[in-house]
Amino acid sequence: MKRTPEEKLLNPRPGSKIAAARDFGIDLTLLIENLRLTPTQRLIKNQDAANGLRELRKAMLQSNAKTKSGTK
Amino acid sequence: MIKLVEAIQILAKHQVDFVLVGGMAISAHGSAYVTVDLDICFSRSGENLRRIVNALTPLEPRLRGFPEHLPFFWDESTLRNGTNFTLRTNLCNIDLLGEVKGVGDFKDALAESVNIELAGYQINVLTIDGLIKAKTAAGRVKDQLILPELEALKAALSDEDAAG
Repeated sequence: MKRTPEEKLLNPRPGSKIAAARDFGIDLTLLIENLRLTPTQRLIKNQDAANGLRELRKAMLQSNAKTKSGTK
Repeated sequence: MIKLVEAIQILAKHQVDFVLVGGMAISAHGSAYVTVDLDICFSRSGENLRRIVNALTPLEPRLRGFPEHLPFFWDESTLRNGTNFTLRTNLCNIDLLGEVKGVGDFKDALAESVNIELAGYQINVLTIDGLIKAKTAAGRVKDQLILPELEALKAALSDEDAAG
């Protein structure tokens, strides 16, 4: 019986590209989660993550600036 | 606030002929890769250049890294005289690519794309195979790192069970 993409990602065949990706360090559960979404939902999820990263970067810069000014 | 989806909608609303490439295309196919900019391969026809200018003018595009004190003319002539443009806009960074390394120009990218519904519009998105070609040709470390994930997605979505 043909396996679904999710089944392939959950149980990759030894020697397959999916197994290679897992061994490389790719979290296959994230791909499973994404494949359950529509393409639009995937883009929105990416956009939310990009904005989260931006906020984090901003906070880091502010924190670093504060630390620097405090040590002067 | 980065508004990647809105930027795609604006281009589609203005009927710009483009193929979504790069990180957003990778994301659309199901990758967990996170990108902060929008990469499109665009048709360099005169009519399309006009549409791109009209679509992006309200977003106040400027070349990234271009000296702030120098004037930047955003018009069809500018687009005609270049191939690839890395823009900063009010919504997000947008890379306009006349050619994609490993794939080719707009016609080549279109031939290697799938048309899918994204945010209310039918959008041409570079296939996983096309993305693998582009990332392989780009050859940068950050491009190489995404290849195993793209190969895994390709295998998972393949009709051949042995692939996965």
